[in-house]
Amino acid sequence: MPSIMRINRLLLAISIGIAMLVLPACHRRQQEPGVVHLRAWTMWGGDEAEAFQVVVDEFNRTHPHIQVHNLAAVEDTKIIRAIVANDPPEIFTLRDPGYLGSLAGNGALLCLDDFFKQSGLRESDYAPGSLSQCRYNGKLYAMIYLMDCFALLWNKDAFREAGLNPDRPPKTLSELLEYARKLTKRDANGRIVRIGMMPPDPLIIISAFGGQFIDPKTGMPTADHPRNIEALEWYRKLIEVQGGAEEVNAFQAGFGQEMGINNPFLVGKVAMMINGQWNPYWFQRYGPKVRYGAAPIPYPDQYPEMRNFTWLGGNIFCIPVNCKHPKEAWEFLRWTQTVKAQVLFASTMHGVPNILAARKERSLREGEPWKRAFAVFMDVASSPNARHFPPTPITGLYQYEIYSAVDFVRYGTKTPAQALRDVQKRVYREMLFWRR
Amino acid sequence: MFKRQRNLQGWLFVSPWLVGFFVFTLYPILASLYYSFCDYRVLTPPKWVGLANYAALLTDRDYFLPSLWNTLFMLIELPLALVIGLTMALLLNHKIPGIGIFRTIYYLPSIMPVVAVAVLWLWVLNPQYGLLNAVLTPLLAPFGLQPPGWLADPKWSKPAFIMMDLWAVGGSVVIYLASLQNVPAHLYEAAEIDGAGSWHKTIHVTLPMISPVIFYNLIMGVIWTFQYFTQTFIMTQGGPQNSTLFYALYLFYNAFRDFRMGRACAMAWILFILTLIATLIVFRTSARWVYYEGERN
Repeated sequence: MPSIMRINRLLLAISIGIAMLVLPACHRRQQEPGVVHLRAWTMWGGDEAEAFQVVVDEFNRTHPHIQVHNLAAVEDTKIIRAIVANDPPEIFTLRDPGYLGSLAGNGALLCLDDFFKQSGLRESDYAPGSLSQCRYNGKLYAMIYLMDCFALLWNKDAFREAGLNPDRPPKTLSELLEYARKLTKRDANGRIVRIGMMPPDPLIIISAFGGQFIDPKTGMPTADHPRNIEALEWYRKLIEVQGGAEEVNAFQAGFGQEMGINNPFLVGKVAMMINGQWNPYWFQRYGPKVRYGAAPIPYPDQYPEMRNFTWLGGNIFCIPVNCKHPKEAWEFLRWTQTVKAQVLFASTMHGVPNILAARKERSLREGEPWKRAFAVFMDVASSPNARHFPPTPITGLYQYEIYSAVDFVRYGTKTPAQALRDVQKRVYREMLFWRR
Repeated sequence: MFKRQRNLQGWLFVSPWLVGFFVFTLYPILASLYYSFCDYRVLTPPKWVGLANYAALLTDRDYFLPSLWNTLFMLIELPLALVIGLTMALLLNHKIPGIGIFRTIYYLPSIMPVVAVAVLWLWVLNPQYGLLNAVLTPLLAPFGLQPPGWLADPKWSKPAFIMMDLWAVGGSVVIYLASLQNVPAHLYEAAEIDGAGSWHKTIHVTLPMISPVIFYNLIMGVIWTFQYFTQTFIMTQGGPQNSTLFYALYLFYNAFRDFRMGRACAMAWILFILTLIATLIVFRTSARWVYYEGERN
């Protein structure tokens, strides 16, 4: 029966098709002898992806035996799924560095200590707070490629309008409250039209008070540390002097995208804010007429030793533990730590170099007018009072808990002490659960 | 011989579906049941912990129970959607010129992607610059009242979501409309002869005749409410004060933020049981109010 034979052949083809669907996808890459191909999955998209591509191209040009292929705009959860599926890329970034602890703690990341020792890189080459963002339980699990750091930005015209000296930013946090009150402007209906101080990230304020998230000795959470409570007391006051949570929330809900001409600072809706080093360039690009200044974050009156505090973030690169080409992947990461690679990326991405020698580079400080403000950020990033959230296995949860605690404090539903004690209870339990 | 071959061919023909069902549906469902009894942190192998996940969830007064309460609150939406959807369907059932245009306009919101709708409504609901409050402010001003902060206010965030969903009620309107047109004209004629006005015709003819469709929409609504996720994930991420932390969002946080896949699986199974119970309740009561034409014969 020829027709049935034909159907059989058709069926065979269909089942082969299905089998190919079910089988794991094979890598299609032309094999050139001696060349190692690395997949890099990175968080950046759009303009930033192009900035990173410049770096990748430069590496590929100077390292013909290794070719890095960048996949842009990758979500952390996609990387985690790839790790679970045992097919992770050779190099990846973490958009949320908070994942470092849980990934390292679960044995998903390659420990880089040996590579680091043999590479000739020294601890002293690094800015404070840069390698500590890459360490978990004392071991190195990542490389940082440029850092973020935070400072106070203020609108000079708003200062002038409120009768303040436009060249004198607040020095202390109580002064900041006073300024915030004076700079907050309302319309005839009493609604805010300009907020004196954009409510900052509570993690930053907690750290500005010299607060603590983790006990460095035991590694256990200390959410209700007395300094943390003081910090949230200040935070509550900041919301209060500007009209209370509902007013402030309602006003903030109307903010446009920061990356663009509707940036609330540039359109005059915000007089002061604590924000990152990428702002001077954005200001130049999206609101070149706005007159502003940059200065270190004000310190608590009672803790002058916290002067020159700054909050750090960073671009964290990791290698998975089962990477097939760890040596080559490391070679790429090692290369990112050269002054040349640091300056190249810093000049397009507007991040702060994590290698101290690169911070002296003149081209990052001089030239266009915005670079003067950028230099303020670079200097404050070198401060011994630079802090960041410590890598923990429960960072995502911990931070969410603090943010919701702050929510309760903002609305006055809980006192700071109450709210933080509740956080401590839950986070402590979670940490014990994790360690079990 | 020939029969066996034909059998084999039959199996091969359904094999794409079978493979899909077993590999991508049945296996994950069973695996999630197993994981719900495990301490499973995604990156390390699961460890059996018995009922610990369920116990931890059911005693969690800070997140799990509030998230369940928030989700149950959203059930308020079902009767509202029913009344509004049905009213709209009845209005759109009139034979007037240009009715097709009206039908299209009211159906339009429901075919927009949820994400786009969410972003749009972020602006509509904006307390200070939003369209909604721009209308409400002058209306409330004579009474010395101010419009609510909607998503910025823990008391109004859930009603804001309900309002937004009602805007896209057009999907169920189309289903009601189809069933309205299936109501036999002779029943209306008979009712008219008996002296029924349009109110009585609606109550005694229309509603009973379309009750199976109402029933269907109700069941789908219950299931849909328990899975409420996208809007809050995009618009509020659970805030303010966890007032929009819905069940599915908390499940997602457990799985993909906190690496507590075991607990997330347990949540999924609790969700399944709750949905099952709610659906069964609706089914049980349905005998009293759903009318099937062929039933009594």
